[in-house]
Amino acid sequence: MVHLSDSSIHLSRILIVAKKELVDFIRDWRTVLAMILVPLMIFPAIFIALPLFLQGEAAELSAYELTVEVQGELPDDLNSHFDGRNLVIIETELLVDGTLSVPGSDAGRLNAGGSENIHAILRLKEVESNASQSWNYAIISDSTNELSQEAMSRTLDAVLTWEREVVNATLAENNLTYAEAWDPIHWDGDQADADVASGGDLAAMGLAMFIPLVVAMWTATAAIQPSIDLTAGERERGTMEALLCTPTARSDLLFGKWLAVAAVACASVLGQMAGLLFAINFLTGGGLEAPSISTTGVLLLLLSVILFAIFVVAMELAVAVRAHSVREAGSILGPMVLIFIGPTLFAQFVNLQGIEAWWFVLPVFNITLAMREALMGIYDPMHIFLWLSTSLLYAIGAIWWASKQFNREDLVESLS
Amino acid sequence: MIDGSETMGEALLKVSDVTKTFSEVTALSTVSVDFNAGEVVGLVGGNGAGKTTLLRLLCGLYYPSSGTVQGVVDQQTVDIHKMREHVGVVPEATGLYARLTAWENIRYHSRLNGIDDEMAWARTERFAKLLNFDHDLHRSTRGFSRGMRQKTALLRALSHGPKILLLDEPTGGLDVTSARMVRKLVRKLGDEGGTVIYSTHNLAEAQQVCDRIIIIHNGTIRADGAPEELIASTETTDLEEAYVSLTEDVARTDVPAEDEGRIARAWRRLLTRGGGSSE
Repeated sequence: MVHLSDSSIHLSRILIVAKKELVDFIRDWRTVLAMILVPLMIFPAIFIALPLFLQGEAAELSAYELTVEVQGELPDDLNSHFDGRNLVIIETELLVDGTLSVPGSDAGRLNAGGSENIHAILRLKEVESNASQSWNYAIISDSTNELSQEAMSRTLDAVLTWEREVVNATLAENNLTYAEAWDPIHWDGDQADADVASGGDLAAMGLAMFIPLVVAMWTATAAIQPSIDLTAGERERGTMEALLCTPTARSDLLFGKWLAVAAVACASVLGQMAGLLFAINFLTGGGLEAPSISTTGVLLLLLSVILFAIFVVAMELAVAVRAHSVREAGSILGPMVLIFIGPTLFAQFVNLQGIEAWWFVLPVFNITLAMREALMGIYDPMHIFLWLSTSLLYAIGAIWWASKQFNREDLVESLS
Repeated sequence: MIDGSETMGEALLKVSDVTKTFSEVTALSTVSVDFNAGEVVGLVGGNGAGKTTLLRLLCGLYYPSSGTVQGVVDQQTVDIHKMREHVGVVPEATGLYARLTAWENIRYHSRLNGIDDEMAWARTERFAKLLNFDHDLHRSTRGFSRGMRQKTALLRALSHGPKILLLDEPTGGLDVTSARMVRKLVRKLGDEGGTVIYSTHNLAEAQQVCDRIIIIHNGTIRADGAPEELIASTETTDLEEAYVSLTEDVARTDVPAEDEGRIARAWRRLLTRGGGSSE
């Protein structure tokens, strides 16, 4: 047997525990799916696949030939705008005396029970005015029917194009152009050119909106399942008793388990960030610039993430150890995630300019704000001192509490 | 083989005036007993008698409420927690990881005991052959029968060459063949000078396997001696009658329950009809 120093023995045992737990995780395909693949795919799925799917659905809808009944006199100018919109136009007489928007007896012709296969009704009535021409109109449609909505949308588009022409004609009679009449004071050039922030700065600011939220949300949620599995799960399966009979110190077991949970949570967070960056890059056509973050910023960001992970994972392990069963642990830790996500969401909207120092003392808020400042390149020594010292304190406190829970005598009880 | 290097008959574990309470339940009351090297000791008692509590005190999982539990290493009395590496434990629940193979389960524990894989494998293979289990060592424990699980747990407990083996109901739920194989192994360990502490409520099994039997009832030791001595001292004809005569008082029903915490207890009392308590 190799003789090792006390600290080497502790480290070696911590690593043995962590390695075994990771092997255990990896062998469960559901854990790999939930902790690695889902976080990796979720943002590409939301930002890329969903819009592509919606585009496909819209294209499918636009292929339909739809019928629109035009009540009243249909001007040739407007009629020409219906061309190419895949609409069948039926002209009828306008029988409405009052307000055009009131469907009246036409309601029954349009809704799901209607047998006339009319998808929308355009009512038109010319009125007297000083303009070259003036009309009142209304489009009767059924908002719960996708085809009726599509017919309404195509008709409205044609009417608005025609309206623009009518406006132009009226303006022309008074020797004015559309731009002169509607945009007399206008920006010269491209607004984006006037921004002194570089593409990298903008990328960093964009990330400052996402990263703290992703880190907080996913660290908290990703740690739940492994925390429960390694504590309440072990108690329930009866494996904890055998484990506690080994000469391994309970603190070593706790640190080994903590390391494994933190590794899984970090892999999850990294996966989600990678997915997010890929999705953003895809949406901007590969034009996403590398964010301008200094080495100090990166180090502070990493430090804040590590301290947050230590805090969150230790808290969740401690709560899971206290639970009497896997079910109980799940029912406590699920809502508990809100304790971490709520302040993070809140802190996203706190103005960083002139921010009061006490914000950097509040748990969770301090880490979120620290991440935002690091990403935005704001390095205030007082802020850094406050969030670093308090986060360290909270992390140590959480570990102490978890350690205390892990030393409970009833931890050996098998509850199944 | 289980390490039998200690001088035969010398105490390896000393329990002195130990009382263990859980909330309002006294699981063990002023128990004093020594466990000596080279003995196979049977802890016999009914459900809730205190056998598992005593075993957990012996492996340092529980702390005595009063009294001391100590080990002896190189003729020096040491805290029970320093005996951990000399003790192999098979808990009642076996406690195997379903996503690991039998050997991986064993190796995990032997590594935590500071034993290198080669040595652990050599020990495991030798005992696995005795249990007719050597062909199943690389199988995942998911789907193992109760007997296979028990054999794996036994091999795990032996893999680091402990001085003492603690077995909590090792044949509970086993079929006849598996139970017989486990008993045979325990007896073999005893014959080779190993020390085994064996908890069971099966008197015939205890008589067959153990050199010494300790009868525990309602948290106290009612008798301690060789099976023949117990029969003679109670003037009965067999061990079952001896046991009955020693445990005539009604067995308690208030088994130790897990402490649920002050808030949880108060909440449960509030919502329990009549505000009753189970303690």
